[in-house]
Amino acid sequence: MSPRAVAGPEIQRILALVPWIVAHPGAAKAELAQRFGITVDQLDADLLLVLMIGIPPYSPGDYLDVIDDGEHVSIRLAESFRRPLRLSPAEGLALLAAGRALLAVPGSDPHGPLAIALDKLEDALELPGLVVDVGQPELLAQVRDAVARHERVEIDYWSAGRDDTTTRVIDPTVVFFATGEWYVSAFCHRARDERMFRIDRIRALRPTGETFEPETTATDPGETFNPRADDPRVTLELTPAAAWVAEAYPTESVTERADGSLEIVLAVSERAWLERLLVRLGPDARVLGPPEFLGVATAAAQRILRRYSHTRSTRLATGRPDT
Amino acid sequence: MPDAPSRIERVLNLLALLLDTRVPLTREEIVHEVGGYPAQISANRRAFERDKETLRGMGVPLTTESIGDTGELGYRVRPDDYYLPDLGLTPEETAALRVAVSAVALGEVTAHGEGALMKLGGITTEPVAPIASLPIAPALATLFDAFRHRAVVQFTHRGRMRTVEPWGLTSTRGRWYVVGYDRDRQAVRAFRADRIDGDVEVGEPEAFTVPADFRPDDHVQSRPWLMGDEQPVAARVRVDAGHADAMLAELGADATVIAEHPDATVIEVAITNRAAFRVFVLGFLDHAEVLEPAQLRDDVVGWLETVAKSAS
Repeated sequence: MSPRAVAGPEIQRILALVPWIVAHPGAAKAELAQRFGITVDQLDADLLLVLMIGIPPYSPGDYLDVIDDGEHVSIRLAESFRRPLRLSPAEGLALLAAGRALLAVPGSDPHGPLAIALDKLEDALELPGLVVDVGQPELLAQVRDAVARHERVEIDYWSAGRDDTTTRVIDPTVVFFATGEWYVSAFCHRARDERMFRIDRIRALRPTGETFEPETTATDPGETFNPRADDPRVTLELTPAAAWVAEAYPTESVTERADGSLEIVLAVSERAWLERLLVRLGPDARVLGPPEFLGVATAAAQRILRRYSHTRSTRLATGRPDT
Repeated sequence: MPDAPSRIERVLNLLALLLDTRVPLTREEIVHEVGGYPAQISANRRAFERDKETLRGMGVPLTTESIGDTGELGYRVRPDDYYLPDLGLTPEETAALRVAVSAVALGEVTAHGEGALMKLGGITTEPVAPIASLPIAPALATLFDAFRHRAVVQFTHRGRMRTVEPWGLTSTRGRWYVVGYDRDRQAVRAFRADRIDGDVEVGEPEAFTVPADFRPDDHVQSRPWLMGDEQPVAARVRVDAGHADAMLAELGADATVIAEHPDATVIEVAITNRAAFRVFVLGFLDHAEVLEPAQLRDDVVGWLETVAKSAS
C-alpha cells in the first residue's frame, strides 16, 4: 500500500464535520448525516472520536466538548478546528473545472449563483481563471428544449459513417457533451431503437406537434460508440506516425511490432468512416484484412481523383475559372 | 480499508497539537505528549512518519524546520496555511457548486470535487444527471497548483522535455491544455495535458508573473490547418451544397464564402499548415476539392494518386 492511500476518509470527514457543527450549534443529526453522506450511527461513532481530541496538558477543559441530546448536536472548545482544511489543488481544480464547464453550457445564467460562487472561489483562493469552452452547435438549444418538453421531432441527419443525409422522427431523451462534441440520445422511429446523434450533424429540426412518454434511461456520457457484435472487424497496419489511431478509436486489439509499427483490429460499422480514415492516413495505414476491405482506400482515392480530373477537363473545355 | 478508531484518534490529536503550538515541536516532544504512540523508539518513529504522511496526503501544510543550532527537526502546522478562508458563499451558491460537481464528470478528479463540497458544508441537494464529460489528466492538478504558486514546471510532452511558466489552463473541444511561456522556445505555447508523459517537476514559487491581459484560450489552436509556421496562403475549396454548412462551421469565423452555386459553394480560408489542411479536406471525401493554390491542389492529387496506387 502506498503511503498516500492511508489518508483515511474518516479523518477527512471529521475535519469537515467539526467546523460545520461549530458554526451551526444545535444542528439536527439526521440532516448532518445526510449532508456528510453517512448514517446517524456513523455520525455517532465520529462524535465519540471527536470527544477524544484534545491538546496538552489534556485537562478536562482541553478536550473538544460534544453536546448531544440524541437529535441535535453542538461542539465547543474546538478552537483548532473552527475552520475546515483548505482545498487541495485537485479539489480546487475539480470545483472550478466543473463550475466553469457548466457555466459554459449554453443557457446557463452568466450572472447566477454559480457564476457568483466561482468568482468568490477564485478571489478568496487566488485560483487561476480557468477558461472552459464546450462549443455550441446551432441546434443545441432547440434539441435541449425538445428534451425538456418531451417533444417528438423530425430531423435531417447527416451520417458521417454512411456519408448520407436521412430524415428521421426521434424522441430525444438526453443531451450531453463528451469527447468534445454534443450528443443527443433518442429513440429513433426509423431504426426502432435507441440511437446517439451528434447535434452538429443535425442539419434541420422540425416539431411534429406530438409529445412522447419519457422512459427513465440511464445514458452514460462518454459511451458514444458501442461496436455491435455483427460489425465487421478490420485489421490495419499502422506506421508509428499513425499510432494515435489506436488511442483515438475503440480498438478490439493492439499489437506492437519490433519496428514500432502497430497491428490493430477495429470494429467498422460504416464503410465511409473507414474510407475517410484511410485516405487521410495515406501511406501510414494499410488494411490487412478481411479481403473485402483490401481495396477500400484505393477505391475511395480513385473516386475523389475523378472529381479532380472532372474539374480539370471542365476548366480546359470552357476556359473559365472555377469560381 | 478504514483506519482503526485508535489511529484516527492519534492522527487527530497530532494535528490538534501541531495547529495549537506556537513553536515547532520535535518528534520526541510530540510522541511524548500525544497518546497512542508505541513506547519503543524505532516503532514510534515509524508510526510518526506514517501519521505525517497521512496528514500531508490530505493536504495539511505540515512544515519541518530546524530548531536553534542543535540541528534538530521541529514540526508544526501554521493555522493561516491550514484554514480554508471564509468564501462567503450563500447556501444557494454552494448548492450551485454541488450541481456543477454532479453535472460535469471529470474522470479521476470527480471524487476531489466531492471532497471539496464536504469542506464547504456537505451535500444538500440531490445529484443531477451528468450533462458533460471532461476527463482531467492527473498531471493537470499539479500544473494547476504550479500556476497558483507561479512556479516553473518541467515535463515531457510528446517525447520532448519542456520548461514552461504555466500562465493558465483551458479546455476546448473536450481537451485540457496548459498554456504558458516555453522558456526554451521563448514563446507562448499550448500543451495538451493528456500528452504529458510521467511526472511534472515543480520549481520554486513566485518565479514569474502572468501578463494582466492574458487569456489561455487565445493560444489554443483547435484548427490544425493553422498549427504551423508556413507562410500563410489563401486556400480555396469547392464543397457540395449539402456539406457547405458543415465545412463552414468547422473552418470557423475566418472562412469566407466566395461564391454560392445551386450545387456547390466556394470557400476561402487562410492556412499555415498544408498537410493538416489536406487531411481536413479529405475528411469530406468526394464532396469537396481544393481549387487553389495550384500547388496545394497538385499536392492533394499527388497524395491521392499514391493512395490509389497502393497495394492494399
